[in-house]
Amino acid sequence: MSMTRRAFNRAALNGTGLAATSALTGGLILPANAAERLLVVQWGANWIEVSKQITADFNKTNDTQIAWELHSGGSAAVIAKIKAVWPNTQYNVLSVWDPVFRTLIKEDWLVPIDESIVTNLATIPDQFIQKNDKGQKMTVPLSTAGAFWGYREDLLPGGFDSVEDLLRPEFKGKLCVPYPINLTGLFIVSCAIQRGGSEKNAEPGWEFIKELASKGQIGEICTSNSEYINAMATGQYSVGFWNNGGWFATAKNFPVKLKNRMPDNKGFLYNEGFCVLKGSPEKAAFEFANFFAEPKMNELYNINLGSGPTQPSAKTNPMLVDWYYKPDELAKYAYFADFAYLSSVMNEWNARWEREIVPLVRRG
Amino acid sequence: MRRPGLTAAMLWPALIIMAPLLLGPLFALAQESLKPYVGGRIGGDDAGALTLDNYALIAAPEYVRYFLDTFRVGLISSGLALALGFPMAHFIVRRARPATRRVLIGGLVGTLFLSLIVRVYAISMTFGPLGPLSGFSRLFGIRSNSPDGAELMVVLGLMNTTLPLVALTLIGTLQNINPRLEEAAMSLGAPRWKTFFLVTVAMSVPGILSAGIIAYAFCISNLVVPMLVGRGFILFVSNLIYSRFSDVANFPGGAALSIVMMVISVSLFYGLLHLVRSNWQEAGK
Repeated sequence: MSMTRRAFNRAALNGTGLAATSALTGGLILPANAAERLLVVQWGANWIEVSKQITADFNKTNDTQIAWELHSGGSAAVIAKIKAVWPNTQYNVLSVWDPVFRTLIKEDWLVPIDESIVTNLATIPDQFIQKNDKGQKMTVPLSTAGAFWGYREDLLPGGFDSVEDLLRPEFKGKLCVPYPINLTGLFIVSCAIQRGGSEKNAEPGWEFIKELASKGQIGEICTSNSEYINAMATGQYSVGFWNNGGWFATAKNFPVKLKNRMPDNKGFLYNEGFCVLKGSPEKAAFEFANFFAEPKMNELYNINLGSGPTQPSAKTNPMLVDWYYKPDELAKYAYFADFAYLSSVMNEWNARWEREIVPLVRRG
Repeated sequence: MRRPGLTAAMLWPALIIMAPLLLGPLFALAQESLKPYVGGRIGGDDAGALTLDNYALIAAPEYVRYFLDTFRVGLISSGLALALGFPMAHFIVRRARPATRRVLIGGLVGTLFLSLIVRVYAISMTFGPLGPLSGFSRLFGIRSNSPDGAELMVVLGLMNTTLPLVALTLIGTLQNINPRLEEAAMSLGAPRWKTFFLVTVAMSVPGILSAGIIAYAFCISNLVVPMLVGRGFILFVSNLIYSRFSDVANFPGGAALSIVMMVISVSLFYGLLHLVRSNWQEAGK
């Protein structure tokens, strides 16, 4: 076969043109295929550690770049940050819990979850998933978490049988409790339940807290997980009411006994997980959330957090055998608070705490 | 040769940029403080009629106590910073050898680069109930794990932060006082202590007050120190503002507190500045 110089040049030019075209369409230049970037807001302590670990696995198969920002104090604080700049928020994925999910849905800031991408949502029990008024699924629940009373067994060998016992003199200055805004007022609800009330009849709870405060039983009022973990880890305080994450971090180093099966009180259960804000690169955000919701990742996530997995096939941390309730115990010991109601009274409760409780604890 | 027209013209670009940056947010804050707030909402209700309710709520006696606490603890902390900072500055300016002076000034400047959080946690770990110097509070008859112990931690935290500022400001003041005046007093028979108080300290009063005002402004506007070591017992007005904006999304309530705090602080500082100008304007010359 012979080839003229002109034919060779033409073929070479055609080849170069084809190569250039395929390079362009192959994504070397086109921005549509450039790696997406997500800004994810997560809690500190164990949450961020395990999240980074899972993200490292995620990035083995997905080139979406993940940047992290930590919640400052309670996760509700992120709402004010978003509100200030909405709709131009830089956040894409938020790791929050039920009361904050409700607020975000109410503000219509979230994108409904695309189940064709978040395929793992199919195996998560439907009652864990928060929905909007149209019934669309808005969240990817990753953990079943809770807030409970508990104590450090090494510092308080006898423990206590009832929250009423905490009024006794030997508990003076030993209690570490959340600021009312943290855990969306569950501490006040717990005290209310102790005296026959509920979130909608919180007066008995306020009276009980006033007794605790005026007797000097409250040693510290914490505003974040890290603060609580530090306070309990130093041994400065031996009794507290906090979420499972704070207790789990303490239990890694010290013997902890959760008082979640008291006859006259309840443990609170709720869900934590991801949601996606409007204006985010949705496909990348859903892929990211879906990776965390995979049973294996869900197991890893929750084993490290001390929370219950939301994927039925994921194993629970053996340390938590007694922390959560068996189905037949739920009615007796578990309490599912009305977070929509609690969110509506948070401002009032916060002001009441400032007016009535802080002056009492201040006097010691 | 002075050219006032040129100086004024050079001021305009900064004014044009700063005025909206400073006054715009203040105006927005004032407007927000007059909006009604409905529990569970985020921010004020734009559609509602303007109201003074947010101001009425913080007029309760319990809130007056938060303001008094903020100003009282701030006054103690800045007073202690002055009491310790003046001798330190005096030693650096009058007594220290050049090498020691360099080390001390370098140390003071260096502490300004150290994160406030690091310093506050270091104090908490050292002087807190489980720290090696937990007995320190007992010198004042205070249990370290009591509410007064928390206040002591806040005072130490604020003082630790303001002390270098005060000392550095006073170094400048003392350097401007001619040492020959002190020598003249002593050569005329004044004892050293009398010279120190009647010449050095008296002539430093404007500087002391300026340093005190700077320290006080820093203390009463501080959020981090009471938040980290106040254990929920010591809350400054800044903490109340923060919780309203950040945690319960009650922007109108937070804005009303901010406006009240700003009015009190600005009045206080203008009052103090007036006091300094009217009584000690000539003292430093």
